[in-house]
Amino acid sequence: MQKSLKTEFLGITITSPLVLPAGVMGMAFSGFNISIKNGAGIVTSKSLTLEPRIGHKCPVVAEFEGGILNCMGLCNPGIVDGLAEIDQFKKRSDIPVIVSVFATNTDDFLKLTKHVNKSQANFLELNLSCPNVFDEFGIPLAASQDEVHNIVKAVKQISKLPVIAKLSPNVYDIVSIAKAAESAEADALCMINTVGPGMLIDTKMIKPVLFNKFGGLSGPCIKPIALKLIYQTYSAVDIPIIGMGGVTYGEDAIEMLMAGAAVIGVGTAVHYRGIEVFNKINEEMLEFMEENNYQSLKEIPRLEKLNG
Amino acid sequence: MDKRYTLKIDRIVEETSDIKTFTFKHDLTAKPGQFIMLTDFEGGEKPFSISECSDEKFSITVKRIGEFTTRLFQKCIGDYVSIRGAYGSSFFISKNKVLLVGGGYAIPTFYFFAKVLLGAGADVTLINGARTKSEHVFADRFHELNIKVINTTDDGSFGEKGTAIEIAKKIISQEKFDFIYASGPEMMMKAMQNALQDQDRVQDQEQGLDYEFLFERYMKCAIGICGNCTMDPLGLRLCVEGPVLPKCKVEQLTEFGKYHRDASGKRHEF
Ligand SMILES: Cc1cc2nc3c(=O)[nH]c(=O)nc-3n(C[C@H](O)[C@H](O)[C@H](O)COP(=O)(O)OP(=O)(O)OC[C@H]3O[C@@H](n4cnc5c(N)ncnc54)[C@H](O)[C@@H]3O)c2cc1C
Ligand SMILES: Cc1cc2nc3c(=O)[nH]c(=O)nc-3n(C[C@H](O)[C@H](O)[C@H](O)COP(=O)(O)O)c2cc1C
Ligand code: FES
Repeated sequence: MQKSLKTEFLGITITSPLVLPAGVMGMAFSGFNISIKNGAGIVTSKSLTLEPRIGHKCPVVAEFEGGILNCMGLCNPGIVDGLAEIDQFKKRSDIPVIVSVFATNTDDFLKLTKHVNKSQANFLELNLSCPNVFDEFGIPLAASQDEVHNIVKAVKQISKLPVIAKLSPNVYDIVSIAKAAESAEADALCMINTVGPGMLIDTKMIKPVLFNKFGGLSGPCIKPIALKLIYQTYSAVDIPIIGMGGVTYGEDAIEMLMAGAAVIGVGTAVHYRGIEVFNKINEEMLEFMEENNYQSLKEIPRLEKLNG
Repeated sequence: MDKRYTLKIDRIVEETSDIKTFTFKHDLTAKPGQFIMLTDFEGGEKPFSISECSDEKFSITVKRIGEFTTRLFQKCIGDYVSIRGAYGSSFFISKNKVLLVGGGYAIPTFYFFAKVLLGAGADVTLINGARTKSEHVFADRFHELNIKVINTTDDGSFGEKGTAIEIAKKIISQEKFDFIYASGPEMMMKAMQNALQDQDRVQDQEQGLDYEFLFERYMKCAIGICGNCTMDPLGLRLCVEGPVLPKCKVEQLTEFGKYHRDASGKRHEF
C-alpha cells in the first residue's frame, strides 16, 4: 500500500502534516503560495495587530552555531491589509490557513477576532507568547494561567473559527498554562514560540548584535526544549498540539510526533534548507515510514504519557 | 552559518555631494549583482550592492537618502561597521555582446560586473545615466575599462541628453545584443522592459532579447525567513532568489512597476 502523510487537523484533511509557522515567510499571499507549492500542508499568517507595525530597527536577526535570534518586533501590515492577503491566497488555494493575531488585552483580541470571523481563514491562533516586545508590552500573556484562560475564554465566545493558543516555552510550569487554555475551550495548542530571549555581542564594537539587544531563539538548538515541553503538555491535555521548534529534518518531525504533536511546524529550517524544506521533510518522513513499515502517520507510535 | 564581520572602513571616496564609495579590506568572495547587509549597531542594517570586489578588498557605493545613510556619511576612515553576506543571486556572465543600462547609485555595481564580463571575454556596452552632471558617477572608472560607454544626463549637462532608456531604445534598434542588463529605479526598469518588448515586436523574434534586472525590495533578515522582501505572485524572496532576476521570472511579476511592500509589509504603489 502507498504510504501517506495525509492526516486530519481539527476536522480538516491535510495532505502533509507540515505547518508554515507564524512569522516565517511573512505576510505576502505569494509567500504562502510558494510554501504550499513546496509541500506545506497548512500555512500560518504573521501575527497581525489592529494597526500596522514596522517592527524593531534592524539588525533583527543574528545567526549563531545552533540557530538564530530574531527580534522582528511583530512587524505586520495590520489586520485589514493582512486579511486581504489571506483572501488573495484563498482565491488560489484551498489549503487551510491559520490567522495568527497579537494583542495585549482581551478587548483588542476580541476586535481582532471579529475581523478574522469575516475572513476566509480556517483557524484563529492567539499569539500569547511573543518574547520580543518586552520593552513595549512587558511579560507575555502566556506566562500567566489566568490571562491565558480569560483571553481564550472570551475569544472562544465570539470566534466562528477553531481557536489555537500559541504558548511560550519560557515558563516554569507549562502544564498548568496548557490546562488553562484547554479549560477555556481552546481547540488546539501551538508550541513552542521562540526561546529566551537571548543575546549576542559584537566584540569589536562592544555592542549587542541585535539593535533591540535581545531576541528569541529558534532553530536546531531549541528542539530538545520543544520536545520536552510538547511531551509534558501532550501527557496532560486532550487537545491537539501543533509542535514546532528546530525541526529541520524528517527525523526531527518524527520526534515531534512521538512527543505528542498532531502536526509539525517548520520555520527556521527554511533558511537552512531553502523553501523546498517542506517537500524534503515530507520525503524523509515517508522514507522513515517505509523503513519502519508504518502506513500512515497514525501508526507512528507516541511516547507513553508521563503519569500525573 | 552566515558569519558577520566587523571591519574598519579602509577608504572613502566622495563621488558626488550625495554619493560615497566605502572600501573595506576583506575577502568577500562575492559575485556581481550580490549585496551585503551593513550596520553600525546604532539602529538600522541596510542592503548595499557591491561595486568592486577582489581577493583583498571590496567596495560599496552609497547614496545618502535617509537616517541610516546620513549617519554612514559621517563615518571616517578607521571607523568600524559590521557586514554580513554576500547575499542573493548574481548576474549571468555572458561571453557575447551585452548592453548594461543603469542610473544613479545603481550604476556602480556594473563596475564590478563589467570587469567580470571583460574577464569572460564579453563585448560590453554601458549606458551610464543620471538626472544631471552633479549626480553622474563612475564615468572616469568606466572610461578606463575596455568597454564602450555612453554617458547620459536627462538635462544634457553631461554626455548625451536624454534618459538612459531613451538612449537604450535607440541603440537596441541599431545594434544586436545577446543580453541586456538593467539596474536602477523600478520605473526605469519597467520602461526598459517595455522598450525591449517593443523591439522584439519590430524584429519579430520568437525568443526575444534576453535580459536580467536588479530589483530592490525592503529587506530585514536577508536570509529568506522573514518574508519582508517577497515579490508577487511567485513568492520570490528577493534576498535569496534575487536581487537579480532573469527575464522568465520578471515577465511573471505582477507587482513589477506597480507596488512594493514597506517595513510593515503594507503595500505602496510606485
Ligand atoms: C538589493 C539592494 C541593493 C541596494 N544597493 C544599494 C547601493 O548599492 N547603494 C545605495 O545607496 N543604496 C542601495 N540600496 C538601497 C539602500 O538599501 C537604501 O537606500 C537604504 O536602506 C536607505 O536607508 P536610509 O535609512 O538612509 O533611508 P530611509 O529613509 O530609511 O529609506 C529611504 C528609502 O530607502 C529604501 N530602504 C530603506 N530601508 C531599506 C531596506 N532595509 N531594504 C531596502 N530598501 C530600503 C526604501 O525605498 C525607502 O523608502 C539597495 C537596496 C537593495 C534592496
Ligand atoms: C523571523 C521569525 C518571525 C517570527 N514571527 C512570529 C510571529 O509573528 N508570531 C508567532 O507566534 N511566532 C513567530 N515566530 C516563531 C515561530 O512561529 C516558531 O514558533 C519558532 O520560530 C520555532 O520554530 P522553528 O525553530 O522551526 O523556527 C517567528 C520566528 C521567526 C524565526
Ligand atoms: S529580507 Fe527576510 S526574507 Fe528577504
